[in-house]
Amino acid sequence: MNTIILIALAAFFLIWSVIKDRKKTKRVWKIARGTFLSMISELVAIMALVALVLAYTPPSTIKYLLGNTNSFLSSVYGALIGTVTIIPAFIAFPLAKSLYHSGANLVAIAAFITTLTMVGFATMPIEIRHFGKKFTLYRNFLSFLLALVIAFGMGMIL
Amino acid sequence: MKLKKFVKDNKLLTITFVLYVATFFYNRGIFISSLEMAKYFFIQLIEIMPAVMIISALISVWVPQEVIIKHFGKASGFKGRLLSLLIGSFSAGPIYAAFPVAQSLYFKGASIANVTIIISAWAVIKWVMFMVESSFLGLAFASVRYALTIPAILFVLGPLMGKLVHDEDMVHEEKHEVEIGSVEYYLNLLPNKNCGACGHKNCANFAKLLSEGKVSMDKCIFFKKGEEEEEKEVPVLEER
Repeated sequence: MNTIILIALAAFFLIWSVIKDRKKTKRVWKIARGTFLSMISELVAIMALVALVLAYTPPSTIKYLLGNTNSFLSSVYGALIGTVTIIPAFIAFPLAKSLYHSGANLVAIAAFITTLTMVGFATMPIEIRHFGKKFTLYRNFLSFLLALVIAFGMGMIL
Repeated sequence: MKLKKFVKDNKLLTITFVLYVATFFYNRGIFISSLEMAKYFFIQLIEIMPAVMIISALISVWVPQEVIIKHFGKASGFKGRLLSLLIGSFSAGPIYAAFPVAQSLYFKGASIANVTIIISAWAVIKWVMFMVESSFLGLAFASVRYALTIPAILFVLGPLMGKLVHDEDMVHEEKHEVEIGSVEYYLNLLPNKNCGACGHKNCANFAKLLSEGKVSMDKCIFFKKGEEEEEKEVPVLEER
Protein backbone atom coordinates (compact mmCIF):
# COMPACT_ATOMS: atom_id res chain seq x y z
CA MET A 1 0.00 0.00 0.00
CA ASN A 2 2.56 2.55 1.17
CA THR A 3 4.84 1.45 -1.61
CA ILE A 4 2.25 2.27 -4.24
CA ILE A 5 1.64 5.68 -2.68
CA LEU A 6 5.37 6.39 -2.64
CA ILE A 7 5.83 5.42 -6.28
CA ALA A 8 2.76 7.44 -7.30
CA LEU A 9 4.07 10.43 -5.38
CA ALA A 10 7.46 10.22 -7.08
CA ALA A 11 5.85 9.86 -10.51
CA PHE A 12 3.41 12.71 -9.94
CA PHE A 13 6.05 15.19 -8.86
CA LEU A 14 8.42 14.10 -11.59
CA ILE A 15 5.75 14.84 -14.21
CA TRP A 16 4.98 18.13 -12.47
CA SER A 17 8.69 18.91 -12.61
CA VAL A 18 8.87 18.14 -16.34
CA ILE A 19 5.96 20.46 -17.06
CA LYS A 20 7.36 23.26 -14.94
CA ASP A 21 11.00 23.21 -15.89
CA ARG A 22 12.75 20.84 -18.26
CA LYS A 23 16.23 21.91 -17.30
CA LYS A 24 15.66 21.42 -13.58
CA THR A 25 14.08 18.04 -14.25
CA LYS A 26 17.19 17.03 -16.14
CA ARG A 27 19.18 17.86 -13.02
CA VAL A 28 16.71 15.90 -10.87
CA TRP A 29 17.12 12.92 -13.15
CA LYS A 30 20.90 13.17 -13.11
CA ILE A 31 21.05 13.33 -9.32
CA ALA A 32 18.56 10.47 -8.88
CA ARG A 33 20.41 8.26 -11.35
CA GLY A 34 23.78 9.04 -9.83
CA THR A 35 22.74 8.30 -6.26
CA PHE A 36 20.90 5.16 -7.29
CA LEU A 37 23.86 3.76 -9.21
CA SER A 38 26.29 4.62 -6.44
CA MET A 39 24.17 2.79 -3.88
CA ILE A 40 22.85 -0.20 -5.77
CA SER A 41 25.95 -2.42 -5.79
CA GLU A 42 26.43 -2.11 -2.05
CA LEU A 43 22.73 -2.61 -1.33
CA VAL A 44 22.50 -5.72 -3.48
CA ALA A 45 25.61 -7.12 -1.79
CA ILE A 46 24.30 -6.41 1.71
CA MET A 47 20.87 -7.87 1.00
CA ALA A 48 22.34 -11.00 -0.58
CA LEU A 49 24.66 -11.37 2.40
CA VAL A 50 21.81 -11.00 4.90
CA ALA A 51 19.82 -13.57 2.95
CA LEU A 52 22.73 -15.98 3.15
CA VAL A 53 23.17 -15.46 6.89
CA LEU A 54 19.44 -16.00 7.41
CA ALA A 55 19.55 -19.20 5.40
CA TYR A 56 22.36 -20.47 7.61
CA THR A 57 20.47 -19.52 10.79
CA PRO A 58 17.09 -21.16 10.50
CA PRO A 59 14.14 -19.85 12.56
CA SER A 60 14.65 -22.73 15.00
CA THR A 61 17.98 -21.25 16.12
CA ILE A 62 16.39 -17.86 16.71
CA LYS A 63 13.56 -19.57 18.51
CA TYR A 64 16.01 -21.41 20.72
CA LEU A 65 17.84 -18.22 21.70
CA LEU A 66 14.70 -16.18 22.31
CA GLY A 67 13.06 -18.94 24.28
CA ASN A 68 15.82 -18.91 26.89
CA THR A 69 14.36 -19.26 30.37
CA ASN A 70 16.45 -16.43 31.75
CA SER A 71 14.26 -13.46 30.86
CA PHE A 72 17.03 -10.87 30.93
CA LEU A 73 19.36 -12.96 28.80
CA SER A 74 16.67 -13.80 26.28
CA SER A 75 15.78 -10.11 25.96
CA VAL A 76 19.37 -9.21 25.26
CA TYR A 77 19.52 -12.06 22.75
CA GLY A 78 16.33 -10.79 21.18
CA ALA A 79 17.73 -7.28 20.88
CA LEU A 80 21.02 -8.58 19.48
CA ILE A 81 19.41 -10.81 16.89
CA GLY A 82 17.15 -7.96 15.87
CA THR A 83 20.19 -5.73 15.56
CA VAL A 84 22.36 -7.87 13.34
CA THR A 85 19.66 -9.10 11.03
CA ILE A 86 17.11 -7.75 8.67
CA ILE A 87 14.23 -10.17 8.75
CA PRO A 88 11.29 -9.63 6.45
CA ALA A 89 8.00 -9.03 8.25
CA PHE A 90 6.41 -12.16 6.82
CA ILE A 91 8.98 -14.23 8.71
CA ALA A 92 9.44 -12.05 11.78
CA PHE A 93 5.82 -11.76 12.86
CA PRO A 94 4.80 -15.41 12.44
CA LEU A 95 8.01 -16.35 14.23
CA ALA A 96 7.23 -13.96 17.06
CA LYS A 97 3.70 -15.33 17.25
CA SER A 98 4.80 -18.94 17.53
CA LEU A 99 7.30 -17.90 20.18
CA TYR A 100 4.62 -16.05 22.07
CA HIS A 101 2.33 -19.06 22.05
CA SER A 102 5.05 -21.43 23.12
CA GLY A 103 5.45 -19.27 26.18
CA ALA A 104 8.53 -17.28 25.32
CA ASN A 105 9.35 -14.16 27.19
CA LEU A 106 7.27 -11.22 26.01
CA VAL A 107 10.07 -8.76 26.72
CA ALA A 108 12.41 -10.70 24.46
CA ILE A 109 9.90 -10.66 21.63
CA ALA A 110 9.34 -6.93 22.01
CA ALA A 111 13.08 -6.25 22.05
CA PHE A 112 13.51 -8.42 18.98
CA ILE A 113 10.75 -6.69 16.97
CA THR A 114 11.88 -3.18 17.90
CA THR A 115 15.58 -3.58 17.18
CA LEU A 116 14.77 -5.50 14.03
CA THR A 117 13.56 -2.33 12.38
CA MET A 118 15.19 0.53 14.23
CA VAL A 119 18.76 -0.71 14.56
CA GLY A 120 20.51 -1.67 11.38
CA PHE A 121 23.86 -3.35 11.75
CA ALA A 122 23.91 -4.60 8.18
CA THR A 123 23.06 -1.24 6.68
CA MET A 124 25.58 0.68 8.79
CA PRO A 125 28.08 1.15 5.93
CA ILE A 126 25.36 2.87 3.91
CA GLU A 127 24.29 5.00 6.85
CA ILE A 128 27.90 6.04 7.47
CA ARG A 129 28.27 7.17 3.89
CA HIS A 130 25.15 9.29 4.16
CA PHE A 131 25.64 10.84 7.59
CA GLY A 132 29.08 10.02 8.95
CA LYS A 133 30.45 7.65 11.56
CA LYS A 134 29.48 9.48 14.71
CA PHE A 135 25.84 9.94 13.74
CA THR A 136 25.51 6.30 12.70
CA LEU A 137 27.15 4.81 15.78
CA TYR A 138 25.26 7.06 18.20
CA ARG A 139 21.92 6.51 16.51
CA ASN A 140 22.25 2.75 16.43
CA PHE A 141 23.60 2.48 19.95
CA LEU A 142 20.95 4.76 21.44
CA SER A 143 18.21 2.98 19.48
CA PHE A 144 19.44 -0.34 20.82
CA LEU A 145 19.26 0.91 24.42
CA LEU A 146 15.85 2.48 23.85
CA ALA A 147 14.55 -0.74 22.33
CA LEU A 148 15.57 -2.58 25.50
CA VAL A 149 13.93 0.06 27.69
CA ILE A 150 10.76 -0.13 25.58
CA ALA A 151 10.79 -3.90 25.85
CA PHE A 152 11.16 -3.87 29.64
CA GLY A 153 8.45 -1.23 29.85
CA MET A 154 6.19 -3.53 27.89
CA GLY A 155 7.02 -6.35 30.24
CA MET A 156 5.78 -4.22 33.11
CA ILE A 157 2.60 -3.04 31.40
CA LEU A 158 1.45 -6.24 29.76
CA MET B 1 41.82 -6.02 -16.20
CA LYS B 2 38.20 -5.01 -16.33
CA LEU B 3 37.33 -7.78 -13.91
CA LYS B 4 40.05 -6.62 -11.55
CA LYS B 5 38.63 -3.11 -11.49
CA PHE B 6 35.12 -4.44 -10.94
CA VAL B 7 36.31 -6.52 -7.99
CA LYS B 8 38.11 -3.53 -6.52
CA ASP B 9 35.09 -1.26 -6.89
CA ASN B 10 32.65 -3.84 -5.56
CA LYS B 11 34.50 -5.64 -2.80
CA LEU B 12 31.45 -6.55 -0.79
CA LEU B 13 29.60 -7.80 -3.84
CA THR B 14 32.55 -10.00 -4.76
CA ILE B 15 32.83 -11.46 -1.27
CA THR B 16 29.11 -12.21 -1.28
CA PHE B 17 29.36 -13.85 -4.66
CA VAL B 18 32.21 -16.07 -3.49
CA LEU B 19 30.23 -17.05 -0.40
CA TYR B 20 27.26 -17.98 -2.55
CA VAL B 21 29.42 -20.15 -4.78
CA ALA B 22 30.91 -21.83 -1.72
CA THR B 23 27.45 -22.43 -0.28
CA PHE B 24 26.31 -23.90 -3.57
CA PHE B 25 28.91 -26.64 -3.23
CA TYR B 26 28.61 -26.98 0.53
CA ASN B 27 24.85 -27.22 0.96
CA ARG B 28 22.40 -26.98 -1.93
CA GLY B 29 19.39 -26.53 0.38
CA ILE B 30 20.81 -23.49 2.13
CA PHE B 31 21.87 -22.08 -1.22
CA ILE B 32 18.35 -22.29 -2.58
CA SER B 33 16.67 -20.88 0.50
CA SER B 34 19.11 -17.96 0.59
CA LEU B 35 18.35 -17.23 -3.06
CA GLU B 36 14.65 -17.17 -2.26
CA MET B 37 15.22 -14.75 0.58
CA ALA B 38 17.49 -12.61 -1.58
CA LYS B 39 14.80 -12.50 -4.23
CA TYR B 40 12.37 -11.04 -1.70
CA PHE B 41 14.90 -8.38 -0.68
CA PHE B 42 15.67 -7.48 -4.29
CA ILE B 43 12.02 -7.07 -5.22
CA GLN B 44 11.57 -4.75 -2.27
CA LEU B 45 14.69 -2.85 -3.26
CA ILE B 46 13.66 -2.39 -6.89
CA GLU B 47 10.14 -1.33 -5.91
CA ILE B 48 11.26 1.28 -3.43
CA MET B 49 14.65 2.68 -4.32
CA PRO B 50 14.00 4.38 -7.69
CA ALA B 51 11.02 6.24 -6.20
CA VAL B 52 13.03 7.20 -3.12
CA MET B 53 15.92 8.46 -5.23
CA ILE B 54 13.61 10.56 -7.39
CA ILE B 55 11.91 12.08 -4.34
CA SER B 56 15.28 12.91 -2.76
CA ALA B 57 16.50 14.50 -5.98
CA LEU B 58 13.26 16.47 -6.34
CA ILE B 59 13.72 17.78 -2.80
CA SER B 60 17.28 18.87 -3.45
CA VAL B 61 16.44 20.61 -6.72
CA TRP B 62 13.02 22.11 -6.05
CA VAL B 63 12.43 22.73 -2.35
CA PRO B 64 13.86 26.07 -1.23
CA GLN B 65 16.27 25.94 1.66
CA GLU B 66 14.22 28.41 3.71
CA VAL B 67 11.22 26.09 3.65
CA ILE B 68 13.21 23.19 5.05
CA ILE B 69 14.92 25.35 7.65
CA LYS B 70 11.57 26.75 8.76
CA HIS B 71 9.84 23.37 9.09
CA PHE B 72 12.69 21.01 9.96
CA GLY B 73 15.50 23.27 11.14
CA LYS B 74 16.93 23.72 14.61
CA ALA B 75 14.29 26.31 15.51
CA SER B 76 11.35 24.27 14.25
CA GLY B 77 10.64 22.99 17.75
CA PHE B 78 8.01 20.43 18.62
CA LYS B 79 6.08 21.07 15.42
CA GLY B 80 9.15 20.16 13.40
CA ARG B 81 9.60 16.94 15.34
CA LEU B 82 5.98 16.01 14.86
CA LEU B 83 6.18 16.72 11.15
CA SER B 84 9.32 14.58 10.89
CA LEU B 85 7.53 11.74 12.65
CA LEU B 86 4.60 11.99 10.25
CA ILE B 87 6.80 12.03 7.15
CA GLY B 88 8.68 8.99 8.37
CA SER B 89 5.58 7.04 9.31
CA PHE B 90 3.78 7.62 6.05
CA SER B 91 6.66 6.40 3.96
CA ALA B 92 7.44 2.93 2.75
CA GLY B 93 10.34 0.58 2.66
CA PRO B 94 13.06 -0.53 5.03
CA ILE B 95 15.40 1.76 6.94
CA TYR B 96 17.95 2.15 4.16
CA ALA B 97 15.31 3.81 1.99
CA ALA B 98 15.13 6.60 4.57
CA PHE B 99 18.80 7.56 4.22
CA PRO B 100 18.73 9.37 0.84
CA VAL B 101 15.60 11.34 1.72
CA ALA B 102 16.84 12.27 5.19
CA GLN B 103 20.20 13.24 3.74
CA SER B 104 18.75 15.61 1.17
CA LEU B 105 16.64 17.20 3.92
CA TYR B 106 19.74 17.56 6.10
CA PHE B 107 21.65 19.24 3.29
CA LYS B 108 18.79 21.70 2.97
CA GLY B 109 18.90 22.64 6.63
CA ALA B 110 16.95 20.04 8.62
CA SER B 111 18.29 19.57 12.15
CA ILE B 112 20.08 16.42 13.30
CA ALA B 113 17.28 15.72 15.78
CA ASN B 114 14.67 15.81 13.03
CA VAL B 115 16.80 13.73 10.67
CA THR B 116 17.03 11.08 13.41
CA ILE B 117 13.29 11.19 13.95
CA ILE B 118 12.58 10.77 10.24
CA ILE B 119 14.89 7.76 9.96
CA SER B 120 13.57 6.10 13.12
CA ALA B 121 9.92 6.71 12.33
CA TRP B 122 10.53 5.45 8.80
CA ALA B 123 11.89 2.24 10.23
CA VAL B 124 9.56 1.59 13.14
CA ILE B 125 6.27 3.40 12.78
CA LYS B 126 4.29 2.01 9.89
CA TRP B 127 0.56 1.97 9.91
CA VAL B 128 0.33 -1.02 7.61
CA MET B 129 2.83 -2.89 9.75
CA PHE B 130 0.84 -1.99 12.83
CA MET B 131 -2.07 -3.92 11.45
CA VAL B 132 0.09 -6.90 10.60
CA GLU B 133 1.66 -6.81 14.03
CA SER B 134 -1.65 -6.62 15.87
CA SER B 135 -3.09 -9.48 13.84
CA PHE B 136 -0.14 -11.68 14.78
CA LEU B 137 0.70 -10.55 18.29
CA GLY B 138 -2.52 -8.99 19.43
CA LEU B 139 -3.80 -5.42 19.51
CA ALA B 140 -2.60 -4.90 23.09
CA PHE B 141 0.99 -5.85 22.22
CA ALA B 142 1.13 -3.67 19.13
CA SER B 143 -0.52 -0.63 20.69
CA VAL B 144 1.58 -0.67 23.85
CA ARG B 145 4.72 -1.05 21.75
CA TYR B 146 3.76 1.90 19.57
CA ALA B 147 2.62 3.94 22.56
CA LEU B 148 6.08 3.54 24.08
CA THR B 149 8.10 3.83 20.87
CA ILE B 150 6.61 7.05 19.52
CA PRO B 151 7.39 9.18 22.61
CA ALA B 152 10.78 7.49 22.90
CA ILE B 153 11.66 8.68 19.39
CA LEU B 154 10.08 12.13 19.75
CA PHE B 155 11.29 13.07 23.21
CA VAL B 156 14.39 10.97 23.82
CA LEU B 157 16.16 9.73 20.72
CA GLY B 158 15.71 12.81 18.52
CA PRO B 159 16.61 15.50 21.07
CA LEU B 160 19.45 13.38 22.48
CA MET B 161 20.98 12.92 19.03
CA GLY B 162 20.65 16.66 18.44
CA LYS B 163 22.64 17.29 21.62
CA LEU B 164 25.29 14.62 21.13
CA VAL B 165 26.00 14.85 17.43
CA HIS B 166 27.08 18.15 15.92
CA ASP B 167 27.09 19.44 12.40
CA GLU B 168 30.89 19.07 12.21
CA ASP B 169 30.51 15.31 12.70
CA MET B 170 28.23 14.89 9.73
CA VAL B 171 28.98 14.11 6.13
CA HIS B 172 28.75 17.30 4.14
CA GLU B 173 27.33 17.98 0.78
CA GLU B 174 29.87 17.71 -1.98
CA LYS B 175 29.76 21.10 -3.52
CA HIS B 176 31.62 20.74 -6.71
CA GLU B 177 32.58 24.30 -7.15
CA VAL B 178 33.21 25.42 -10.66
CA GLU B 179 36.65 26.91 -10.87
CA ILE B 180 36.62 30.41 -12.24
CA GLY B 181 38.18 30.43 -15.68
CA SER B 182 37.60 26.74 -16.39
CA VAL B 183 35.79 25.43 -19.46
CA GLU B 184 32.79 24.57 -17.28
CA TYR B 185 32.72 28.06 -15.81
CA TYR B 186 32.47 29.67 -19.24
CA LEU B 187 30.01 27.10 -20.47
CA ASN B 188 27.69 28.04 -17.62
CA LEU B 189 27.88 31.68 -18.64
CA LEU B 190 27.14 30.96 -22.30
CA PRO B 191 23.57 30.53 -23.51
CA ASN B 192 24.31 27.07 -24.98
CA LYS B 193 22.33 27.91 -28.08
CA ASN B 194 25.22 26.81 -30.32
CA CYS B 195 24.34 29.59 -32.75
CA GLY B 196 27.83 29.93 -34.17
CA ALA B 197 27.65 33.73 -34.20
CA CYS B 198 30.95 33.95 -32.37
CA GLY B 199 32.61 32.22 -35.28
CA HIS B 200 33.02 28.87 -33.55
CA LYS B 201 31.20 25.65 -34.15
CA ASN B 202 29.40 25.47 -30.82
CA CYS B 203 29.41 26.87 -27.31
CA ALA B 204 31.65 24.11 -25.98
CA ASN B 205 34.38 24.97 -28.49
CA PHE B 206 34.04 28.64 -27.71
CA ALA B 207 34.19 27.96 -23.96
CA LYS B 208 37.36 25.93 -24.41
CA LEU B 209 39.04 28.78 -26.29
CA LEU B 210 37.80 31.23 -23.64
CA SER B 211 39.38 29.19 -20.88
CA GLU B 212 42.63 29.25 -22.80
CA GLY B 213 42.34 33.00 -23.10
CA LYS B 214 42.46 32.93 -26.89
CA VAL B 215 39.19 34.75 -27.48
CA SER B 216 37.18 37.36 -25.67
CA MET B 217 33.78 36.93 -24.13
CA ASP B 218 32.13 39.74 -26.09
CA LYS B 219 32.34 37.67 -29.24
CA CYS B 220 29.18 36.01 -27.99
CA ILE B 221 26.14 37.99 -29.07
CA PHE B 222 23.95 36.63 -26.29
CA PHE B 223 26.44 37.49 -23.62
CA LYS B 224 26.49 41.09 -24.81
CA LYS B 225 22.75 41.35 -24.67
CA GLY B 226 22.23 39.68 -21.35
CA GLU B 227 25.17 40.78 -19.28
CA GLU B 228 26.04 44.23 -20.45
CA GLU B 229 22.82 45.81 -21.45
CA GLU B 230 24.14 49.35 -21.61
CA GLU B 231 27.50 48.72 -23.16
CA LYS B 232 25.79 46.89 -25.93
CA GLU B 233 24.16 50.00 -27.27
CA VAL B 234 27.36 51.91 -27.67
CA PRO B 235 29.31 49.66 -30.06
CA VAL B 236 26.21 49.07 -32.15
CA LEU B 237 25.71 52.77 -32.59
CA GLU B 238 29.34 53.29 -33.40
CA GLU B 239 29.24 50.74 -36.12
CA ARG B 240 26.43 52.58 -37.76
